[in-house]
Amino acid sequence: MAFFSSGSRALVEILTRMQSAERPMPVDHTFFEFGSIRYHVEASASDPENVYLSIATPSLSHEASSSSSGLPEATLQETRKAYHRFAEVVEPPREGYVLTLKLNFSGLNRPKDRVKAINQVSLLQSVVLSSQLRDMLGSLGPSGTMRLVYNQRDPFFVSKTAERINAVFPMRFRDDTDLAIATSFFQELRELGSSFARAPECSWSPIPPPELRGEYVHRLTTNGGFVSFGVLSRHVRGKRAAKTAWILLNFQAYVKYHIKCTRRHIQSRMRERLEALTEVIHDARLRGNDDKRKSQAVAKKRRNNKRRLISFAKASKRLQKGFRAVLDKIKRLRLRIRVRGLDRLRRQCRCFAVPKLPPRRKEHGYHKLTEQ
Amino acid sequence: MANTLRLYLTCIRNTLEAAMCLQNFPCQEVERHNKPEVELKTSPELLLNPVLICRNEAEKCLIETSINSIRISMKVKQADELENILAKKFLRFLSMRAEAFQVLRRKPVQGYDISFLITNYHCEDMHKHKLIDFIVQFMEDIDKEISELKLSVNTRGRLVATEFLKQFI
Repeated sequence: MAFFSSGSRALVEILTRMQSAERPMPVDHTFFEFGSIRYHVEASASDPENVYLSIATPSLSHEASSSSSGLPEATLQETRKAYHRFAEVVEPPREGYVLTLKLNFSGLNRPKDRVKAINQVSLLQSVVLSSQLRDMLGSLGPSGTMRLVYNQRDPFFVSKTAERINAVFPMRFRDDTDLAIATSFFQELRELGSSFARAPECSWSPIPPPELRGEYVHRLTTNGGFVSFGVLSRHVRGKRAAKTAWILLNFQAYVKYHIKCTRRHIQSRMRERLEALTEVIHDARLRGNDDKRKSQAVAKKRRNNKRRLISFAKASKRLQKGFRAVLDKIKRLRLRIRVRGLDRLRRQCRCFAVPKLPPRRKEHGYHKLTEQ
Repeated sequence: MANTLRLYLTCIRNTLEAAMCLQNFPCQEVERHNKPEVELKTSPELLLNPVLICRNEAEKCLIETSINSIRISMKVKQADELENILAKKFLRFLSMRAEAFQVLRRKPVQGYDISFLITNYHCEDMHKHKLIDFIVQFMEDIDKEISELKLSVNTRGRLVATEFLKQFI
């Protein structure tokens, strides 16, 4: 599912276009991704080398937000470390954003390096979010549970123990169809979880797991149960941390996307079956064959038209081959018969006059009534 | 086709063949009106005994006959929650497009999932044997479609779950 790749495609496109532009052009773009991540890209024509990229991500937890504005120092350091070759962090960030980067790709000579750098910049959101997540988990201490809000509608819980971090997703669905599709998906996920050794352990239960004991009841009221992922230290080692965080943050969106696609699939299948059944009842009609014949005739006509098109293509090829010959022939046909010296003879002796033929009238299929 | 299903469908076909001898019959209550007696049930002398054919508790077919109309109601197999939802969804989808079938009732009889109403006019307008073929094929197709839909939903779920877990590798 390309839709859930952590790289921002819009950002890649804007930066690539700016890099490939022949003339320096001013850029001022603001756009949203995943509903809650806001970007702002700015560059002036006078200073095309420096591009200012600002990002605003949602605060994952209202409970544990350490600073009200901007990002924690650890996140800034991580960002500096990741993009030190071509970017520097602007402080303070632009108003309304949590981080502003000044990008300068002029140090990268090879186009291949620039493409790589742009792709790296597009992953900024996952770097920021995973860093925020790590910071929050650090603030939890050796054990504890935290409620995270990445999507306003679907908060989830993260609990920390000595060995692992558990991400618990309370699943809520609009209607029974969504619930049935999701249930089938969760069952498969639980069964497959054991066959993927590297993936976090997955479990699904209709009752809240023991880590959520003590939470408010309204937060634990679900119709789709609770899906938990047991994240071990090897899942968040080094570069894998950002990826794992991104996958887990988008898990609910992933499930919803699957439900949407499955619903569409069911609908299209039902439509197909409806058509097949309608055909049977039309066949049952006493005069239903006329319609069938008509439709068959239309289909035949279409086929003939296709054949005609094919034959026309062949003919045009032949025509192109002998095009000049055909043109000559047409010219010859349209030319008047010339008799040498006839014009001179006509001018000299007036008795030899060529009779003028009256123009051919259009024949009507009726008699004109004359007044009497 | 499973043997039990074949027997069930053959039984329905034979019953329909016997029951579908309809004729034009004006309403006895209202002058110059012609109404399906099986729906109104105003004159008991115009009604025949209803026939209930059951394959099991979950699958059954009720055939109610009158002098000028016949009503066929079906209950479709719903083994689990997913099948129940898919059956409901599919039958609702068909009922909402009842005009495409002409003989399909917009609302099923209570206790059944889908109902057909065939009048003498339908029999005049259509081949009787083909109409019966349609009813039988409809029943067959619904069963098949629900099973296939269930299978495809589970297969899709498995594939999507695999793709999701692959991301961690």
